[in-house]
Amino acid sequence: MHRIANERVIVQLALLIAAAALYASTYGQSFSASDLAQSPMFFPRIILMLWMGLNVISLAQAVTEGGGGGPIASWTRIGAVIVAALIYTNVIGSEGFFIPSVLFALISLPAFGIRNPILVVLFAVAVPGALVLLFNHSLGMPLPTSRFTYLF
Amino acid sequence: MLSSLPEAIGILLSLEGLLVLVLGTVLGIVLGAMPGIGSTVAVAIVLPFTLTMSQAPAILLLLAVYAGSVYGGSIAAILINTPGTPQSAATCLDGYPMAQRGEAGLALGWATVASVIGGLVSAVVLIFAAPQLAAFALEFGPIETFALILLGMTCIVSVSTGSVVKGLMAGMIGIFLSTVGGDPILGEMRFTFGNWQLFAGFNLLAVVIGVFALSEVFMRASAPLSRVSELVAFSGIVLPSRAMWKGRLRNLSKSVVIGNLIGVLPGTGAATAAFISYAEGRRSSPNGAGFGKGEPDGIVSSEAANNAVTGGALVPTMALGIPGDAITAVMLATLTLHGITPGPKLVDDNPTLIAAIFAGFFVINLLLLPLGMLLSRVAAPILRVREAFMMTAIVILCAVGIYFVRGNPFDLLVMGGAGVVGFLLRRQGFPMAPLVIGMVLGPTLELTLRQGLILTDGNFLAFFTGHPIALVLAIAALLALGLPVLRALLRRNAA
Amino acid sequence: MKLTYMIAASLTVAATTASAQDFPERPINLIAPFNAGGGTDLLLRGLAPHFAEAIGSDVFVSNMAGGSGTVAASALQGQRADGYQLAYMSVTVSTIQPQIKNVPYGLDSWTPICSIAASPTLLFVTNDSPFQSMEDVVAAVKEEPGKYVFGSSGPGAITHLTMVAAFAGLEIIDDMKHLPFQGSGPAIKELTAGNIQFFGDTEILMNRGDFRPLMVFSDERLENFPDVPTATEVGIEAPLNELYLWGGLFAPAGLDPEVTATLESACEAAVASDGFGAFAANSGTVIKYRGAEEFDAFYRAQYESNAALIEAAGL
Repeated sequence: MHRIANERVIVQLALLIAAAALYASTYGQSFSASDLAQSPMFFPRIILMLWMGLNVISLAQAVTEGGGGGPIASWTRIGAVIVAALIYTNVIGSEGFFIPSVLFALISLPAFGIRNPILVVLFAVAVPGALVLLFNHSLGMPLPTSRFTYLF
Repeated sequence: MLSSLPEAIGILLSLEGLLVLVLGTVLGIVLGAMPGIGSTVAVAIVLPFTLTMSQAPAILLLLAVYAGSVYGGSIAAILINTPGTPQSAATCLDGYPMAQRGEAGLALGWATVASVIGGLVSAVVLIFAAPQLAAFALEFGPIETFALILLGMTCIVSVSTGSVVKGLMAGMIGIFLSTVGGDPILGEMRFTFGNWQLFAGFNLLAVVIGVFALSEVFMRASAPLSRVSELVAFSGIVLPSRAMWKGRLRNLSKSVVIGNLIGVLPGTGAATAAFISYAEGRRSSPNGAGFGKGEPDGIVSSEAANNAVTGGALVPTMALGIPGDAITAVMLATLTLHGITPGPKLVDDNPTLIAAIFAGFFVINLLLLPLGMLLSRVAAPILRVREAFMMTAIVILCAVGIYFVRGNPFDLLVMGGAGVVGFLLRRQGFPMAPLVIGMVLGPTLELTLRQGLILTDGNFLAFFTGHPIALVLAIAALLALGLPVLRALLRRNAA
Repeated sequence: MKLTYMIAASLTVAATTASAQDFPERPINLIAPFNAGGGTDLLLRGLAPHFAEAIGSDVFVSNMAGGSGTVAASALQGQRADGYQLAYMSVTVSTIQPQIKNVPYGLDSWTPICSIAASPTLLFVTNDSPFQSMEDVVAAVKEEPGKYVFGSSGPGAITHLTMVAAFAGLEIIDDMKHLPFQGSGPAIKELTAGNIQFFGDTEILMNRGDFRPLMVFSDERLENFPDVPTATEVGIEAPLNELYLWGGLFAPAGLDPEVTATLESACEAAVASDGFGAFAANSGTVIKYRGAEEFDAFYRAQYESNAALIEAAGL
């Protein structure tokens, strides 16, 4: 059907473009080493070239052959989990560990099919809470705290 | 040192000694078994306590927690496909397929027995042959190390389940990721694009946890929800019977030797040993064809080797004062703190202490078997929680674990990104183990290559003409790459 | 949501209006810019209980490793200067890295609190080395240019600068090769194995092997090595003749002077305590206390003089 515009070709193409862009960027910077082998870019260039070569073979295989990328059962679920996880890992540094963890669990648990609100809230508060109590208040190796209080 | 052994055993059998060994091992196993929490965090948690203890118990506690957490890491790797450390990534390759087949208990049984034997043998080697092995380590300069790492890189082919091209590509991506940050020779910044957070590069553990554990969560979120409440059928460790060992002993002993030898070389580490041993097992074991599909020999290869490394790494640490890996570096610093100077005179000046450490390491490995079986029974009910709770807990625990690796929130971001990229790549059939190998070996490969070029004034051929060990290793690497291809060609001609 | 916001807002206001006299009213965080279990980390963990006792509040040590210490320093630089976050920074993190890397901090980013430790570096060879003095070294290098190799624990590290100070000071650096390693451990191993001939580090690290010092980068000879000449005696001129691995506590710039004074006196008491003294004696730490003002002047002078070293190293 979609011989070109399908997931496996797009992923392969994206990888190839990334490698090519990185390779191009190695010529934008100037380095002090005169000797080729001691240039900081000597080794990465070799690796990037191998990456691109393999990528071309792999891309050709992706276009000619099928396979790869099983069906997604529910786009809402995978979307919600990925977006929540990405936001979660991004904001722990600035907003602390506890609050983002609670919010993440509140999204993730229903996404994975827990319908009982009491269970969801209980788990979402108890697990991060226990971790904060353990690390911040009994081991003395604190997780990041929120901007509101140093207690959690 | 051997004459101080009785006195050393006295220290171990004291109440404090026993308590430290048992509690340390239990704590290590429990922490290591939590997805995302690895040896680094486990050691960081007990470190403050060791400051107030006396010499021998302090070091023994660190060792017990470390050995326990390495073993615990393989539990998580086998049961839920989330290795907490790079060295248990090789264990996943066969452990998880076995667990999916419903043989989780047996897979853990193989892992336990192989770990214990690997650890015990390396403890014996440590007690009797540390000085000789230390001399061997000195033979390995930058050029020899380069050849060894080259050999290690050929493992990428063996662990590429599915497509070899995709495996090699994942390996290249891994090596590339390891070059981001400061250049090892000149210190200049590469691929950081002005972002100071990238000056330190991508953290290995953040990437490993991202592409294995986090992407596993995403994989499960993309599949139909599991209706059964159990993640895997598991009710405790099942030890392999004697009949099952038939034809597997050679592979076991080979793996132990590989682990010991690689452990002795500073700066190579447990992950290298596990992967090299896995590749060798796949090549030489009679069950090699089943590797990657849930073959016990695969578990044995990686577990026996990575546990033997722990003992091996103590050799350069104790005999030369040179830490073999991050954890032995912590031990050396702890020794220094107690007024003991690590170095060539360490063993002569403190025979009882060193004998206690070595014998303690033996005891810790003995403890792994009963404690592992006991803990697995206690932990089995936890695995019966619903997928939703387990997956959510994994993400939260991974965040905790990665935060404590370097105390840097940026690593969490890297973990998240690696999770999404890992998910997309895994959907396209890219194996993730080669990416980990590339990232583990990449920095040493580049550093030793360029060090070698400095030493030989840029003459790459001189790497092999003046260094017999390097020549042998390079030939082995060529054979490891070439033989399978050659064999396939011959077979095609014959047919 | 609105309620939590209001509570949060009132808490923030309370935190900012609290006067410096109430400092400290919550735990103080000492940041080690290296991994748990390293030398810096253990030094801070040894200091923390005595610091806590002196200041009358909880004190905990946290680690933020990476980029030779620059990641922690860069992160701290952007924080509000409230005195609750202090980093232990060494000569390399505070004065060398900002001059060779494009980090977001520099000379004026800090309020120095106190210096804690300082050890001079030594240039050393293996015990069975043919070199007995620096004159031997200069003669041998001139005889066979390009043959001899010196090691370092990484580009821009204090070990690298020690080597550069020695060989640039003696004007033979162009005839030698530099082999960087990842950390002092591997470098010491290659020194023992003979792949490098020279290495430079502090006395405590030198004691890890069968090594022999040829000169010391100090203003006077060391107690333990009365026969080993200083770099000045060997003929190396300022600013290359003295090199100390020093470290101390820094807060972000703009710290309230009253808070600085509180921290400074707590630091002084902690460093002078018997407990920390015993810790230092055990671990081979050379204590060198300087108060905030003195340390500030010292730090600025070091920043300037290390510029010459960086220039000579070609970094």
